[in-house]
Amino acid sequence: MSAILSIRDLQKTYAGGFEALKGVSLDIEEGEILALLGPNGAGKTTLISTVCGITTPSGGSVTVGGYDIITEFRGARSLIGLVPQEVNLQPFETVLNTVRFSRGLFGRPRDDAHIEKVLRTLSLWDKKDNQITTLSGGMKRRVLIAKALSHEPRVLFLDEPTAGVDVDLRKDMWDTVADLKADGVTIILTTHYIEEAEAIADRVGVITRGELLLVEEKKALMARMGRKQLEVQLNERLDSIPAGLAHLDLELAETGDALVYSYDIHAPRTGITGLLNGIAEAGLTLRDLQTRQSSLEEIFVDLVKGDAS
Amino acid sequence: MNMSAVGAIYRFEMMRFFRTLMQSFLSPVLSTSLYFVVFGAAIGSRIEEVEGVSYGAFIVPGLVMLSVITQAISNAAFGIYFPKFTGTIYELLSAPVNFLEIVMGFVGAAATKALFIGVVILLTASFFVDLSIQHPVAMVLFLLLTCLSFALLGFIVGIWAGNFEQLQLVPLLIVTPLIFLGGSFYSISMLPPVWQTITLFNPVVYLISGFRWSFFGTADVPVALSLLAIAGFTLLCLGLIWWIFKTGWRIRS
Repeated sequence: MSAILSIRDLQKTYAGGFEALKGVSLDIEEGEILALLGPNGAGKTTLISTVCGITTPSGGSVTVGGYDIITEFRGARSLIGLVPQEVNLQPFETVLNTVRFSRGLFGRPRDDAHIEKVLRTLSLWDKKDNQITTLSGGMKRRVLIAKALSHEPRVLFLDEPTAGVDVDLRKDMWDTVADLKADGVTIILTTHYIEEAEAIADRVGVITRGELLLVEEKKALMARMGRKQLEVQLNERLDSIPAGLAHLDLELAETGDALVYSYDIHAPRTGITGLLNGIAEAGLTLRDLQTRQSSLEEIFVDLVKGDAS
Repeated sequence: MNMSAVGAIYRFEMMRFFRTLMQSFLSPVLSTSLYFVVFGAAIGSRIEEVEGVSYGAFIVPGLVMLSVITQAISNAAFGIYFPKFTGTIYELLSAPVNFLEIVMGFVGAAATKALFIGVVILLTASFFVDLSIQHPVAMVLFLLLTCLSFALLGFIVGIWAGNFEQLQLVPLLIVTPLIFLGGSFYSISMLPPVWQTITLFNPVVYLISGFRWSFFGTADVPVALSLLAIAGFTLLCLGLIWWIFKTGWRIRS
């Protein structure tokens, strides 16, 4: 596979002097789904806006499908579909007109069959003659996606596509994304919802304060960064952690009948054997054992916290 | 050249026009009729002739210009301001289009609307007065250039405007006075000499004079100068727009 999107040392300093991007480099393979995570103001939207041509870069270079976004902007932009974060739509237009407009704007010949397919996929076909202003918030968001897909992009940017969207629609969108991936479309999405990245992304990038902290395979990231917890449920109730176990990273559950042990799966010694021996030596009996892997969300919070300190 | 994009923008803008066709059609008809009642019938009955033309007919070119100029400006200004206001400008900025294509779409549509209004006014006027057009080709040329150049100006206004009030500001405070003082309803030769000189600094004078010449064969200023003025104005607006897109002024951060 080759990189369809290649970002080299991309910098953006706004007129006010704010450095939104401090030299971001990133390669995105054709057909993959990359989730960009980061707190508000991290530079996610600036990164997308710059690649799409809405913001002018201060330095660095970007190519999309081999086309430079400045010198060969037509080639680059024709490949890109953008779903912006804000619901920006002309209120008095009909759904069909506004989606057709997008296709024409991107230089594609009229294709009613394709537009119908897109609208049907997004459950918008029934609403095609409705004015945008009569649609619900979720439907408007679908219209934005339909506009972005109207010209059959090879690279799709979704800037927080599911912010403020109900659970059903979010699942629908994930399905749409999966279908697009199956068609070979490369997808870059930004999100606050870590479960979203966890559910659909192949790779995860973390941005804070204009810098890309890391980009990694989601599974590798979770495996590398993931801390595991072992919950040992006891038949007895304890008031405090027994002295023989005090040296371990243990917490006593509020109910007093469980010990929670945190460990690093990649450490040479996880300390589980010692824990279990210690429990036996303390004369405690086990009722149940349970292990839990930390989610991307916890990894993310750790990363951003670590960067802030 | 992404002609598909030009067409898409043009059609999109024209659709808005057709949605409000009755308003677009009725308001110029009504205002033209009012002008004829007030200027033509009431005042015109006391002014027999101006430069050998009945006063009613004399004011027709000025009336057409008045509406065409205001319509061209306001349509183009609104056309590009509205996407800025709603945020849909993101799509124009991220599309594979250059500044010329965006301008052709928006300005082309605004100029078409202005032309339509101009023709409607001419037709309405022909019900009130006998109109003769001595130089029809020149008349069409002047009309087209006026539609185009003021739509370009309107486009600049729309990009400059930060709110709906500012959108109205340029047409109301600058353009309307210039048109009224530009000889729409009188011949410059009717003014005292000092004012005749001052009036020559008003660019609209050249437009209306040239346009009126195409009807009646009489002009306040040489026709070639009129053509030169409007061509220069068109180029100035184009240059400004080119600079706006080059620097991203008020549209691209």
